[in-house]
Amino acid sequence: MGMEWAWLLPAVCTGAFVVVAALGRWLPGRGSLLAIGAIGTAFVLFWFVMADVVGNGPGSFSRAWFDSGDLTVRLGMRVDKLAIVMLGLVSAVSLAVQVYSLRYMRGDPRFGWYFALHSLFAASMLALVLADNLLVFYITWELVGLGSYLLIGFWWERRSASEAAKKAFITTRIGDVALLIGILVLFKATGTFELSQIFAMAQAGEISQTTINLSTVLIFIGAAGKSAQFPFHVWLPDAMEGPTPVSALIHAATMVAAGVYLVARMAPLFVLAPGVLDLVAFIGLTTVFIGAALAMVQTDIKRILAYSTISQLGFMMLALGSLGFTAAIFHLLAHGFFKALLFLGAGSIIHAMHERQDIREMGGLRSRLPATWVAFVIAGLALAGIFPLSGFFSKDDVLFSVLDNRGVVWFAAGLIGSVLTALYVARLLYLVFLGEPRSQAAREAREAPLGMTLPVMALMAPAAGLGLLALAWGDYDGFGSFLVFLPFGSRPFEFHGAVFWPSLALAFSAFLMGLSMYRQTGGVAPALVRRRIPWLLTALDNKLYLDHVYQWTVDHVVLVGSRLVALFDRAVVNDAGVDATGRATRWSGLVLRYHETGLVSTYMLTIAVTAMVIVLIVITTG
Amino acid sequence: MIELEYVLFLSAVLFSLGLFGVLARRNAVMILLAIELMLNAVNINLVAFTVYLSPDLLVGIIFAIFIITVAAAELALALAIVLRLYRTRSSVNVDEVNLMRW
Repeated sequence: MGMEWAWLLPAVCTGAFVVVAALGRWLPGRGSLLAIGAIGTAFVLFWFVMADVVGNGPGSFSRAWFDSGDLTVRLGMRVDKLAIVMLGLVSAVSLAVQVYSLRYMRGDPRFGWYFALHSLFAASMLALVLADNLLVFYITWELVGLGSYLLIGFWWERRSASEAAKKAFITTRIGDVALLIGILVLFKATGTFELSQIFAMAQAGEISQTTINLSTVLIFIGAAGKSAQFPFHVWLPDAMEGPTPVSALIHAATMVAAGVYLVARMAPLFVLAPGVLDLVAFIGLTTVFIGAALAMVQTDIKRILAYSTISQLGFMMLALGSLGFTAAIFHLLAHGFFKALLFLGAGSIIHAMHERQDIREMGGLRSRLPATWVAFVIAGLALAGIFPLSGFFSKDDVLFSVLDNRGVVWFAAGLIGSVLTALYVARLLYLVFLGEPRSQAAREAREAPLGMTLPVMALMAPAAGLGLLALAWGDYDGFGSFLVFLPFGSRPFEFHGAVFWPSLALAFSAFLMGLSMYRQTGGVAPALVRRRIPWLLTALDNKLYLDHVYQWTVDHVVLVGSRLVALFDRAVVNDAGVDATGRATRWSGLVLRYHETGLVSTYMLTIAVTAMVIVLIVITTG
Repeated sequence: MIELEYVLFLSAVLFSLGLFGVLARRNAVMILLAIELMLNAVNINLVAFTVYLSPDLLVGIIFAIFIITVAAAELALALAIVLRLYRTRSSVNVDEVNLMRW
């Protein structure tokens, strides 16, 4: 068993999807056990694959898929350390989430279908990270989007859920179209879909700078759509309409990470386009602020986490744009675990609160839900970047690469972002767990059953201790040397005083300040802000009016445009084209039939005149 | 020897007479006669071209013989139709035979 068997990971999950979707209702547990068995197998296989890759270095495996003219498309996978990190994250979080769902989704009428979809999603995501070829990548990318769409709209009887699913699908689709065009631009320039060949040609200078810039911008737009970067982030909070474990898996840990993964995978191309990297960093930083600011004012616990995810994805993009590819992937990994933990904890809270998600109705849950409290504290502090939890190391790495490659101004902006993070984490923790219970449901809340707390506890370990991966111990040289992006060398994690002290001090003091602020006011938004800058609060409450802008655009641009197209279709294509042809035929038949008199002499005359005309034409034209 | 043009002129006059007959006559038998006139005008043309332009090849003459044969067969068929027409309508006026029209 080695890396040549890595394709088995997605294959088992695909098999589970097919079997559970088709035969689920006759299987024990409506197929859920089979789905969990499949992802469990994938998780076990992951360790073998990882051992092989770590021991023997990366490998590529492919075979011819189909020929089309001169083009041979190969179906292949590239098993390297970047893929390994993603495989581990996806299979581990998927496993935890599916075990959690077993209890959380109990009694749902489409219980089996839920697990089938989870298998489909896991399979597409595992295949996506293994793809060594842009065509395969794009196919799995779309499959991931499909899985997300189906799971957001899992409770499609609720109108809001089906609307959210549509919104997510259409918004990410805009990015997907850009990605497809980017892939085709690259294909036109290189004549291949193989990543390794494209990179080789790019480094040899065989692709023009314009092509590289254009394709990386388009690919980044695709990544921004999937990773909910500004201005495409609007779909992610609405995606919280799906079941909470889905939010944990897809909209926090894995799918939204696909965009970050894409940029990291295309790193050899992006480093050749410095202007595009500036754009990536800028969009990332904007997203950090927008996500964090909006997370401050939301009252729905899942939406707070969703905006926090957006903000953290912004940090990853910021790191990517600052050449900190390893830092971005490390933050992706750590964030995947602690955010999944937060979402699963939120699921337990929602479960205990009888499907209420409004944090204004919570409070004082610390004594009612002790296990969830511990999980939330660990994951929340990790999110806020408090030493020695995983988030501290990854965020430190991100901030260091920003300081190193972008300078002090960007670094300061990143620090403000992490201060905002600590603030909304403090708000979330205080309003949910501390203070007095603010509703009957909160007073009667009971801890979730063991089936749900077990996976939560299992995720606590990586959320807390993943930072150890950043450090060197024994033969292991730390994450910076484990995952190396050419042309950059290895960069072991160090405690840089310039990053360590300000980031830790600011995050810690912001966290404490947030706690005391909410303790004093007890309100949902700090009274100070409400009094001094009410316009900011109004703007944030309206999600910075972005949804209004999009709605206006749809109403006044898209719909007007489609009405024009419809008008053209009706007037020109239908009336003047199809109908007119029919009418002309009918009309000419009506007129010409009077020539058919039935008299022999008429026909003869026609023949004679026609013959003479033809002869005349022949004579006159020579 | 008579010039080719005169022969062609004769043929053209005959053809035009035939055409006029076909267009102007109402009697089916007269139309058939006019058609024969046109066919023979063509025959004159073919024979004349052979004699004047390629006396060694005889192509036109063979063609003329073919046309005479076909004309005979066609005339036999046409007269049979005229006979049937007369039996059903007691008339051979083609203007009265106009059932197949709009």
